[in-house]
Amino acid sequence: MPKVAIVKRELSKIATALAKVLVILLGLLLAATLTSIATGNTLKLISITLFQSFTNLNVFVYISTLLPTAVGLSLAFSANAWNLGAEGQLVFGAIGATFIALFTPLGRQEIIAPIAALIFASFLGALWALPAALLKMFRGINEALTTLLMNFIAYYVANYLVKGPWRGRTVYGYPTTDMIPIESRIPTAPGYSFSWYVVVACIAIAVLLYLFLYRTRVGIALRALGSSIHFVELSGLSSKKLFLIAFLISGALAGFAGGVKILVYHKKLVEGPIVGGGYGFTSIMVSWLGGLNPLFVIPASYYTAALYILSFGLQIGSAAVGDALSSTIVGFLLALILLADFLTRYRIVIRFR
Amino acid sequence: MMMRKPFIEVVEIYKKFGDVIALNGVSLEIYPGEILAVLGENGSGKSTLAKILYGLYFPDKGYIKVDDVVTVFSSPAEAKNRGIFLVSQRPQLVDDMSVLENVALFLNTSPSRDLKKKLEVTLRDLGMAIDVDRGVYTLSYTEKQFIDLVKALITQPRLLIVDEAATYLPRELKLKFLDIIKKFAARGGSVMYITHKILEAIEMGDRFIVLRKGDVVGVFEKGVDVTTIRRAMFGSEEYLTTFKRSPKKITHESFALSVENLIVFDEHGKPSVNDVSLNVRSGELISIVGIAGNGQKELGEAIAGLRKAARGRIMLNDNEITHAPASERIKKGLIYVPEDPFREGVAMGLTVAENVKLFSQSKVSRELLDALIKKLDVNPSNPFINVAKLSGGNIQKVSLARLLLTTPKVVVAYSPTRMLDERSKTLTLSILQRLAESGSAVLLLSEDIEEVLHISTRLGVMVSGKIVRFFETPDLESCREDIEKVMVHA
Repeated sequence: MPKVAIVKRELSKIATALAKVLVILLGLLLAATLTSIATGNTLKLISITLFQSFTNLNVFVYISTLLPTAVGLSLAFSANAWNLGAEGQLVFGAIGATFIALFTPLGRQEIIAPIAALIFASFLGALWALPAALLKMFRGINEALTTLLMNFIAYYVANYLVKGPWRGRTVYGYPTTDMIPIESRIPTAPGYSFSWYVVVACIAIAVLLYLFLYRTRVGIALRALGSSIHFVELSGLSSKKLFLIAFLISGALAGFAGGVKILVYHKKLVEGPIVGGGYGFTSIMVSWLGGLNPLFVIPASYYTAALYILSFGLQIGSAAVGDALSSTIVGFLLALILLADFLTRYRIVIRFR
Repeated sequence: MMMRKPFIEVVEIYKKFGDVIALNGVSLEIYPGEILAVLGENGSGKSTLAKILYGLYFPDKGYIKVDDVVTVFSSPAEAKNRGIFLVSQRPQLVDDMSVLENVALFLNTSPSRDLKKKLEVTLRDLGMAIDVDRGVYTLSYTEKQFIDLVKALITQPRLLIVDEAATYLPRELKLKFLDIIKKFAARGGSVMYITHKILEAIEMGDRFIVLRKGDVVGVFEKGVDVTTIRRAMFGSEEYLTTFKRSPKKITHESFALSVENLIVFDEHGKPSVNDVSLNVRSGELISIVGIAGNGQKELGEAIAGLRKAARGRIMLNDNEITHAPASERIKKGLIYVPEDPFREGVAMGLTVAENVKLFSQSKVSRELLDALIKKLDVNPSNPFINVAKLSGGNIQKVSLARLLLTTPKVVVAYSPTRMLDERSKTLTLSILQRLAESGSAVLLLSEDIEEVLHISTRLGVMVSGKIVRFFETPDLESCREDIEKVMVHA
């Protein structure tokens, strides 16, 4: 009987990164091969669909939402603050941006309007995260549960608004608001529904939060909170304040993403589940894919965004493989990341005797 | 005796962590009925060796032979199957489970009535009064250490690896325990006894191996003297300073730290600190010593703010801090060196540099960082590796860096030298003494009379949550017997 053992190993950072990329590339090739066998499409066609998904500029549509949200979450998770409510905070951000754009005089001021809308969106996102944080701090109530439940409340608040007081006069009874004024929209790249301004801002946010988490005392303390609350307290930093900071930043960034969705993509408030679109939940995964490091969350959000596009491309493009197989492939490609992570941290030793 | 075969042979084991060589081709063998003492300063590779024998680490090169058969352990389960057990310096227990459940989990059985009886008998034989249904989180570090040791012994192993585990037990229990280990060896068991305490090694060992920075630098037979081993451990350099208690220089008449009628409850609502009052002036170094589980831990945690004070007052420079959160007390000039470096002393997920950065209210320059690492002799000296990669003693050294960044008003330390080798222990005690000389009020809580005897200006003995007696003479050493008597019999 050969003996199989799984053994920890340590690779240098560069070797780890290279190994991961290699595993993923091999995996993509494998996925393409399997799909072509299963569907009878040529390998070339499937490979082209794959390649196009990863080079399609539309990835930025998804990155604009996933990246800020996931970066905020990676900060919260580093601090052991289990904010699972990004979806709801994102919806509240969308509500906030719509409010500024439609119902305040600021909405008709060029440049000021989108900036004010994004600030207010971030504020509402943070506000929506606040009750869970306070309940945890003063009553010890598990924040994972409260934030999760608050998501659904947020959905219904948005639904109420678009079906009730905020329903547009020019929308023929559809549950949406009126379109927001041109002045408050963020200009998109020609022919696409994303904005370069937002993409640059999102990457800047990721870099800034990286510097915050790894270079400042407060940021380092946030990460230490994940190891030991007592340690942080004994270093003279209030663990409660840090917890609150982590929670509010993650809420604000989800709110920011929600604001972006309104100002760039929807251009009006729609029903909660449509605004949220599950991105708040996907972002949880993206932040872990990036190892809770804001810098690595950038490629993680790119990869996930490409998979979104791949999933559509496989279904409606020339491959047309159908919903089930396309989900299988996307799931496989996500699982690959875990495999790559495993293979860089452990090696498998087989001994024959 | 001539033809006996070793139970286990370690052949040319080599292990590297990142850029750090932990073991550089170590070979040794342990015979049945033999206690092999493995010595070395903090970070010399002792624990890495133990973990390889126990299947926790996989060697980069080299192999192990058990009963003359080449073996690879890829998990502790496999090592356990071959009768090899490790009791480490970090108790391997699940906090949320009871003592009984922990032992059952370890033995892979159910927490049956039989097991409970067996465990209770073993504990009683050792004179340890621990309710086996208690949750492990309610135990002190020392009690946990002890349970961990009992857990391994109850399995009747063939090789027992004791990695600094007995080093910190209270004297009486320790003697009993060492006796049991000796008996275990006399019945034919093998023991690998890892320690940095030379005297303890000499008392226990049949043979001695000294490691330094991953190399075997000495193999000695019974009868070797302390100096020979010390020289092998540290090289020839002279490092031992003798402590001179400086004449008391009380800079202030008022108290820097004062505790009034403090009552602290344990997890079961029983008072573990029962009406304790004590005052420390600036410039004083006061020790409170007692056998583990007599309330020193809770006293320290209450002063630091990690544990609620049920009644009484705690004053820091005439400001009441009884109910302030720990972080506020630290900001006001109190420094607490916690009992458990792994959980409270450092953040394991961060680098050495990041940990030190958190200790300091002001910016820590690279020069300061390097100076601290050099002064504390943290090994490896790279400040950018994760603390989790350091050995236990080196982690404690990082935790002690907090003492060197400011001149705090009050220092409270709980067994700060428990994990340290002789050189680092001497250094730490001299740091505490110097802090007192430069005006800090130092309160040293300890279970180890050796730690406190030479440097205290005053010494209190704590029994069952009360400070039963203070000793205050210029020559505390002469009171040693009295102090020990009070600790045990009050």
